[in-house]
Amino acid sequence: MGRLFRSYWIPALLTEELPENDCPPVRVKLLSERLIAFRDSDGRYGLMDEFCAHRGVSLWFGRNEECGLRCPYHGWKYDVTGQCVDMPNEPEHSAFAKKVKLKSYPLVERGGVLWTYMGPPANQPPIPEYEFANVPSSHSFMSKRTQECNWLQAMEGGIDSSHVSFLHRGDLKTDPLFKGTRANQYNMKDLRPVFEVVESPGGLYIGARRNAENGQYYWRITQWVMPSFTMIPPRGGHPVHGHFWIPIDDENCWTWSYDYHPTRPLTDGEVAAMRDGKGIHVKYVPGTYRPLANKDNDYLMDRVAQREGRTYSGIEGFAMQDASLQESMGPIVDRTKETLVSTDSGIIMARQRLLRAVKALEQSGVVPPGVDLEHQRVRSASVLLPADQPFTDAAREALIAQPGVAPATV
Amino acid sequence: MLTESARMNSAAEARFRIPAQPTGRNIKVIDLDTATAADVARLADDVPGADLVVMLISAGADADAAATIGRACSEHRVMTHAIVVRAGAVAEQDLSRTLAQLRPWSLMVVVAEGDDYVEDILRSFR
Repeated sequence: MGRLFRSYWIPALLTEELPENDCPPVRVKLLSERLIAFRDSDGRYGLMDEFCAHRGVSLWFGRNEECGLRCPYHGWKYDVTGQCVDMPNEPEHSAFAKKVKLKSYPLVERGGVLWTYMGPPANQPPIPEYEFANVPSSHSFMSKRTQECNWLQAMEGGIDSSHVSFLHRGDLKTDPLFKGTRANQYNMKDLRPVFEVVESPGGLYIGARRNAENGQYYWRITQWVMPSFTMIPPRGGHPVHGHFWIPIDDENCWTWSYDYHPTRPLTDGEVAAMRDGKGIHVKYVPGTYRPLANKDNDYLMDRVAQREGRTYSGIEGFAMQDASLQESMGPIVDRTKETLVSTDSGIIMARQRLLRAVKALEQSGVVPPGVDLEHQRVRSASVLLPADQPFTDAAREALIAQPGVAPATV
Repeated sequence: MLTESARMNSAAEARFRIPAQPTGRNIKVIDLDTATAADVARLADDVPGADLVVMLISAGADADAAATIGRACSEHRVMTHAIVVRAGAVAEQDLSRTLAQLRPWSLMVVVAEGDDYVEDILRSFR
């Protein structure tokens, strides 16, 4: 699975973490590799082995100066490609420095995110074209948080539409980024949606349909693009949101959360709500990207709120409602202990899609779904459709990202 | 001192999880492409003892029998799951026709590009 992730550009840092030239370097752990990120004097981004090639000192202590990161122990200096450019304890003009290069990966900025590609350089795909990363910065908001479990059990929550009516039922009515839409009435009137999972070129469409008027269905269609991108269907005129889950190591992941609107800037109120941890975002332990509600404070469990129906699980907020349960499964959930039912078909198919992609990549070098830029130019949709229509046909245009076109929403 | 969540979420504590208990789930599977009227009637008779009925069908095929099966499942509160296999270049209107017949009687619908997902899904419902 690590090799699969190395087929894609993946989010590595928020742009805000390297805010200016020669700013302090930042430790980054991705796909079980310890790395250091920095921005040099000319604004170039670097992502390389965290540890100096000399004696293994962490370059987090490094001096970011004059187009390189200099280890403070003996002064070895590296540029953004990991190339050693100065080795003061060797003779001046020694050629040996040229032979020392730290493993490094490209780091590029798009949409407020610094993306990296950790696979073979010869196979590097084009920079991602997810719509949220290509709209003006005023139209999008991005956050990240640590999640203390394997990435896959977290991602499976993102494509499991059937939990929303339970776990998040309190917040659908109260969260400022979800409430007050005409569509919510369909959720209230039909508490038993029917699910329809359809293969898409990049992954899956996960459709949830509810009865609507005049012989129609109200569809909410989620996109899953491999390996771990989701887009949740819009509600009314609210911004559209979704996630990436990126492995830190086998037992921890980054949950990236985006909110964006294709055709208008986010309002001050929307951005304030997102910064305040509303919607799919969280409040943090100050100075970190760790959620304020976490396992070390029992997720700030509130049994009174649970009993009174303000929250279903006693945990506040969409994000931690999901993460608390997913972390409780254990660092890597033991799936032999599951009892899956029909409404888990999306999860079952996603697992199989991933396994097949891994096998095809390993055995035949087949480029997995989701690398192709066409697979990334997608949208989710909320639509009313006649009862006999396959949504992949009837909502075809709505499921493609079209610049300047508003999302399909009810 | 660790909170209970911090302690219990650990890999060490995960070792103490109890193995899953067998459910004896009774799943009935019917291939609507090949089922005869007698097969459908037999399945409908078996519905009271079933936990799940899975209907398999090719996109474009006639899913008329879904109504008979669906009514029996509805009466006995048995879950219905349809897997539509869309192989090759099946026209949208043909898929549409099959879905129109299935949807009123299926609480879960999967549309797969090949039949290899069928075994994966059935194997997952142990």
